[in-house]
Amino acid sequence: MKIDVDEVVKRFGTDPVDMPLVLGGVSLAIRENEFVVLLGRSGCGKTTLLNIIAGLERSSGGEVRVDGAPVVRPGAGKGMVFQQGALFPWLTARQNVLFATRKRGLAAAERQRVASELLDLVGLAGAEEKYPFELSGGMQQRVAIARALALDPQILLMDEPFGALDELTRIEMQNELLRVWSARRKTVVFVTHSIWEGLILADRIVVLAARPGRIVLEQTITLPRPRSRTDPVLIALYEDIWRALQ
Amino acid sequence: MRPSGHDVKGTVTSGGDGRRRSRRDWLDPLLVVLALLLLWELASALGWLRPVRFPAPSRLASSLWELTVSGYPTGVTLDTHFAITMQRILGGFLAAVALAVPLGLLIGWFPLLDRLTGTIVAFCRSVATLSLLPIALVWFGTGEASKMFLIGYGCFWVMLSNVIAAVKQVDPVLVRAARTMDAASFDLFLSVVIPSALPRILSGARIALGVGFMVIVGAEMIGTIIGLGALIMEARTFYRSDITLVGMIVLGALGFVFTTGLERLEARLLPWRVRQGGGPS
Repeated sequence: MKIDVDEVVKRFGTDPVDMPLVLGGVSLAIRENEFVVLLGRSGCGKTTLLNIIAGLERSSGGEVRVDGAPVVRPGAGKGMVFQQGALFPWLTARQNVLFATRKRGLAAAERQRVASELLDLVGLAGAEEKYPFELSGGMQQRVAIARALALDPQILLMDEPFGALDELTRIEMQNELLRVWSARRKTVVFVTHSIWEGLILADRIVVLAARPGRIVLEQTITLPRPRSRTDPVLIALYEDIWRALQ
Repeated sequence: MRPSGHDVKGTVTSGGDGRRRSRRDWLDPLLVVLALLLLWELASALGWLRPVRFPAPSRLASSLWELTVSGYPTGVTLDTHFAITMQRILGGFLAAVALAVPLGLLIGWFPLLDRLTGTIVAFCRSVATLSLLPIALVWFGTGEASKMFLIGYGCFWVMLSNVIAAVKQVDPVLVRAARTMDAASFDLFLSVVIPSALPRILSGARIALGVGFMVIVGAEMIGTIIGLGALIMEARTFYRSDITLVGMIVLGALGFVFTTGLERLEARLLPWRVRQGGGPS
């Protein structure tokens, strides 16, 4: 599904004059199955923009449309992965994934099959009955990805999903995400503040700057995946993006 | 935690250390208690402690026997005191829980309700329960109702404030995550808010029960000679310090057994809670 972000404005608070402008009229057209990375410093409004696309927050002006229909609420085919996993601690990995299938109108056996398949896909076979506290940070994010996919969404929204992981696990998870994404094509909007993460993952990097939140650079990357961190094209792009962030 | 693998002499111990340590976790404190009792008995035997003020442990043991077999006052045996006291505590406690849980869930979930009631809840929780004893007697007379009321009052406000806090502390990210999975309103409340709040609700119940065990002595001060609290007060009037002490010890042991029992039950019911912080207040 394609996503149209149309002149989205976001203010915090209710005072129309004094309140800081978090997003100052952002427009962005995301194609079906495109992998878009929103990149920027803390406070540039990238997470706010993601939440508005998700329907978790309302914009103060403008609108977001998914396949032409304005987004008014969360759910409805938009899966989301949060920074800290946001797994339900009282449910096992499998039960967390099953939670997402509740509203799909599937038979119980079918739901179990979907959960097993997804847990398998994210490399968690054997850990299905573990509680989140028994899993490492990387494994928790694998469950979170499986859970988001269990909604069978057309759109996958990811809010710094690997931000809390150590460097090595993070690289591993980026590769895993690409593998999963190639198996289940979705439109992905991925928020990060890591330039390299964007370069490795994205079809297009959208760089945001703060006060007010606005797009300062859009960089399409056509290199095939998997990409190498030593690729001179990426290194040159890194420099461009770094400058745009200044 | 003590460092594992070494005993007090500093030599390395062999395998099975975990089990060995868990046995010592209860054995060591028990030895301390036994040592203190021995010291106490010795001090009494040597005449350092006067029997009326500090009856010796052996004397307490025979008093406990007297209480169990012939009763104090005569005819009212320990099991009767125990049964009546438990009836009062559990009656007040369960009534308080039954009221406080639904009310607390509501107040915790709706910020407006919380804002309106916050001060009242904090105030009522701060009122020393036993200061209500005189007015409870005026309202409910000297029978069972006033005792249940006092215990219920003490338990209720502790329970209520813990349930409210439990709901308010539900991680908003979990609620957002559930909303992205099409959970809304009542379904969201049942499937996310209540399980999230459950650990703190259960520990709130444990603390409220502890309050019940504290309030009982005062609640049984008037209008009854049956019940462990009444036993304590009644024996004091007749200078039976030994009975007073036995009553106190039995009550203390009961409170200990019930609250640690609930703690165990919590760990059993909520296996995911093991690594979660955020203790109750």
